[in-house]
Amino acid sequence: MEALALSLVNAVPLMAGVPLWTVTLLLMVVVAAVILVFALTFEGVGSLVLRKVAGDIQARIGPNRVGPNGILQFLADGVKLVLKEDLIPANADRLLFKLAPYFAFVGSFAAFVVVPFGVGLIAADLNIGIYYVMAVTSLVVIGVLLAGWSSNNKWALLGGMRAAAQIVSYEIPVGMALIPAVLIAGSLSLQDIVRSQGGLFGIFGWNLFHNPFTFFSFFLYFTAAQAETNQTPFDLPEAESELVSGYNVEYSGIRFGLFFLSEFGDMFIVATLATACFLGGWNIPFFNAGTLPWIWGNLLSLGVFLGKAFTMVLIMMWVRWTLPRLRVDQLMRMAWKYLVPLTFVNLLGVSLWLLVFKGKGIPAMIASLFG
Amino acid sequence: MGLMAYLNDIVEAVVTTAKGMRITARYGVNPKEEVTLQYPEERWEIPEGYRGFLHNDIKTCTACTMCVKTCPVDCISLESVRGADKRMVLASYDINIGRCMYCGLCVEVCPPKSLKHTSGYEMASVTRGEMTLHFIAEDAAEVKARVARQVAEAAAKAAEAAKAAEAQAAAKPADLSSEAGKAGGGEPKPAKEGESKE
Repeated sequence: MEALALSLVNAVPLMAGVPLWTVTLLLMVVVAAVILVFALTFEGVGSLVLRKVAGDIQARIGPNRVGPNGILQFLADGVKLVLKEDLIPANADRLLFKLAPYFAFVGSFAAFVVVPFGVGLIAADLNIGIYYVMAVTSLVVIGVLLAGWSSNNKWALLGGMRAAAQIVSYEIPVGMALIPAVLIAGSLSLQDIVRSQGGLFGIFGWNLFHNPFTFFSFFLYFTAAQAETNQTPFDLPEAESELVSGYNVEYSGIRFGLFFLSEFGDMFIVATLATACFLGGWNIPFFNAGTLPWIWGNLLSLGVFLGKAFTMVLIMMWVRWTLPRLRVDQLMRMAWKYLVPLTFVNLLGVSLWLLVFKGKGIPAMIASLFG
Repeated sequence: MGLMAYLNDIVEAVVTTAKGMRITARYGVNPKEEVTLQYPEERWEIPEGYRGFLHNDIKTCTACTMCVKTCPVDCISLESVRGADKRMVLASYDINIGRCMYCGLCVEVCPPKSLKHTSGYEMASVTRGEMTLHFIAEDAAEVKARVARQVAEAAAKAAEAAKAAEAQAAAKPADLSSEAGKAGGGEPKPAKEGESKE
């Protein structure tokens, strides 16, 4: 960010007198605003697409009243959420009740900082990118747990407790399934991980096809991440049919809206992590986006990245409307008896592979066979 | 649980998920499978014998009050007065359709078959009082007053006729009868059961 500010100051002579830190701060605010607008737009349109996909899959039509073919439905929903009365239950813990939605939203929005949108399009290329995402998205659990606790409602409490147990359990397979990508790239930075999947193999440079273990790793990550973001086969914290609506049952208006946004934000974060770690991120197949002119390289890589990420989101929705909800004990059994051992075996496999074959993947080996 | 059973579980989970996703994908890409009816624009075909809102044809209604007596929820109310021709004249016939449970007993029991179910099912109102169907537009008091006037006129006419008859009494005994004598020439027989039985 500071480098960008420096280049901006150098490029525009008028700004020479302005101190560097003000320019940096302004840039930070602008970038944050841009990402916020992107996130909110994604969350709005995502909710519409979710409902449309649900409609298609369940042989219904879905929203089609607001605007042509219902495409303005998300605006109507947003306006409704903003205008609704903001209720706080009489016996709620008022401070925690008010705090909880912000924790949830900040937890999901803060993860956007390290999303590698393109060659140079990243708010902050942290050298601990994946670790940061894993850590900061855990704030969502605190928000959910606070919401469940402070609502003073048995269903909300049950939902919050379930969410805590579930998300903490699934954090382990999620982390373990992402480590293969880190091992291959030798870095925790998401940009480095994406760059490690470039090269001349096209889609076979992706970590997904690096070796059999990374291939399984992707699916393990996807399953566990689905659970970590409370998507439907694992949406026990907000199981409508048992818990009314779970941890957010007492929330209304914009506070409920924040929970809603955080849910969709999490969905996008999961999709971007899957894209960046296994599906080649913003790499344009067969040529290096970094060598293109700055603007074209960034635009193309942004398009490629968003295309992949949105496809992943669509697949998540598809899974969401296919599978019925698990029971609590089934959920825990799946985490601890299946996903955790499998991801550990996988991690061991990837480590051994990298050790034995000196970090080469199958496509690289095949390529070296033909010279 | 042996290792084979464990691995089998995993394989089964993957296979069944893939199967389910194939089914949902088929529905997802085929828009012809949509079964939703766009209600205000499209409507269902009303089936035969559909019990919608009640409608009373007040021209054939005889104000026999069978429907009032048979209604289990007391949603029909009726006021009538005896008219000049000795037939009952309806002063008011109201159905509180918000209370009606569409059992159809009143229709079954209606002797002149004037009470019918229509195919209507749409009504919205702000208060429950507005859900009452009025079949007689005039005010009940007006109708009563009008009928009373007609009865009085008929009585006066009858008296005149009687006088005229007395004057002619010498010739032959008069058998002029007032119009009021005939009560409802084409009155139908009591309703046959069976047709609208559940």
